[in-house]
Amino acid sequence: MNGELSNGRRSLKRWLLEGLVTLAIIGFCLGPLYWIFATSFKPMGTEYVIPPEFWPSKPTLQAYAVILGIQAPGAERASQEGALKGTTEIKASPHLNFLVPVRNSLIVSTSVSAGALLLASLAAYAISRLRFRWKIQSLMVLWVAGLLPAVIVIAPTFVLMRSLNLLRTLLAMILPNIAYNIPLTTWLLAVYFAQLPWELEDAAKMDGYRPLQIYRKVILPLSTPGLFSAGIFAFLGSWGEFMLASAVTMGVAEVQTVPVAILNLSFEYRYQWTWISAAICLSVGLMVLIALVFQRWVIQGLTAGSVKY
Amino acid sequence: MRNSMRKFRLTEPGMAVLFIIPALLFVTLFMYYPILQTFIYSLFSLHRTADWLHAQFVGLQNYIAVMKSEAFRGAFGFTLYYTVMTVFFELAIGLGMAIATFSVHPRLRGILRAVLVVPWAIPPIVSAMLWRWLFHADAGIFGYLLTATGLVSKPPAFLTDPTLAIHSIIVASVWKNASMMGILLLAGLASIPQDIYDAAKVDGARTWFRFRRVTLPLLLPTILVTVLFRSLWALRMFEESYGLTGGGPGTTTDTLSTFAYKYFFTYARFGVGSAYAMVIFAMVVMVAIVYVNRVKGNLRFKE
Repeated sequence: MNGELSNGRRSLKRWLLEGLVTLAIIGFCLGPLYWIFATSFKPMGTEYVIPPEFWPSKPTLQAYAVILGIQAPGAERASQEGALKGTTEIKASPHLNFLVPVRNSLIVSTSVSAGALLLASLAAYAISRLRFRWKIQSLMVLWVAGLLPAVIVIAPTFVLMRSLNLLRTLLAMILPNIAYNIPLTTWLLAVYFAQLPWELEDAAKMDGYRPLQIYRKVILPLSTPGLFSAGIFAFLGSWGEFMLASAVTMGVAEVQTVPVAILNLSFEYRYQWTWISAAICLSVGLMVLIALVFQRWVIQGLTAGSVKY
Repeated sequence: MRNSMRKFRLTEPGMAVLFIIPALLFVTLFMYYPILQTFIYSLFSLHRTADWLHAQFVGLQNYIAVMKSEAFRGAFGFTLYYTVMTVFFELAIGLGMAIATFSVHPRLRGILRAVLVVPWAIPPIVSAMLWRWLFHADAGIFGYLLTATGLVSKPPAFLTDPTLAIHSIIVASVWKNASMMGILLLAGLASIPQDIYDAAKVDGARTWFRFRRVTLPLLLPTILVTVLFRSLWALRMFEESYGLTGGGPGTTTDTLSTFAYKYFFTYARFGVGSAYAMVIFAMVVMVAIVYVNRVKGNLRFKE
């Protein structure tokens, strides 16, 4: 298969075939996203016009202005929608501010990545580099937790957060999410640390370095790519976490993260798909950008985390 | 110098345990301990309270009530059907995309690898919202395309007709996860030694023959692990259903997870919800045992 590529010139037919296949895959993966992207630039209400415009004839940033709170969601628009849908409900809403959930998500995901990286790298260092008896067993105990379904832990976690008085705070998402991301992060880092050369460490031991010093001065500096890859997974994982976030924020807008806020937006403004699209584009855009820029690490981590151990 | 090295070695196991404890503490507090707690909840009658110490112990009655209910059987059936269908189509499409990505010119391959990462990077609940717009009854693009091409006279009710809703959720999930399968399978393809292909080519093997007799058997371990891995996640499916249909119409697209969640946070009945959660847990554990056993053999650390 792959062999044909290397020898000599490729026929026009093959180029054409490969181009078509490539376009098909791009269409499959990006098509749905394109549609939400196009919708986000449509003037309010025109997203319902049939036949739909594949690119808005009058693109506007109106939807973005509304969800970022620059422009108030108009009562006029809402009543028009209400008339269109045969309902009398009119919503004159306060300013939306989607930057709040974006800020919350950034705080949560950054703290979770930092916390998970710290705890997991310590554990991974012990497992992969230190001499003790229960290496594989400790790694298994930490890693297998990552396969548990969220629904089995959600109710007790909610009760715990309530008794700690942490409901409706970001901490109620940060602490459990650190735990949720430790299994994969530990796994990735243990595999990464294990392949580092032993010579530097031996030299450090000769110089009388203690394990904690070796971890800080030898292992961590050598492992930037591995830490990076594991950190991206913790970041994306906690960014997208929904079940716990939805339970512990209890409908309070000030502490909602992006996934919860998007779902809420769609419940509150059922017919405003330009706004929902804009919110999706803003939040997804950031994640897709991170995933694309750090694509190499993402793919490495994905394959190391599930198939190629 | 010898002396200091010996001292180092003596304390090493102790240090190791010290390093592992913080991570273990977090995982135990937020993951292992709650399993026990959920199991305890499931044995009590809990209405609007989680205070099981003062609640009535009902033994397995929550489980019996759950299993007897029509809703449970529906959710159980849908969860299994969803798992089989999504994993099958994700594998088929993922394998196709992996082989295509592997076979095209390196320049195109770079583009495709980047593109494959995109659906994976989108949070599941956001993906569900996105598809709700594509499947919209009045203005959804799919409905429009179907009517415009004359296949149907009016846009189908993708999310409100029971059969269509079930399959709309499957389509959305396949889109979200097929490319991830593709990435995993691509890694499997890339790890097949090139000389095996070269040997097969020297023997004059045709492309299809080579795929069936060389690529596929060598890829089979990767396929198996990928399928097990995806099944683990499909069995607990929550966001796709919660975001796309909210379980509707009726409870046709409710999964075991959405039921558990609704019993916890809508009806505040922790006992029944926990019984649902335990059923999911049992199903996931069964698949996880097979998966873990296949995977852990590859683990090697310097003792």
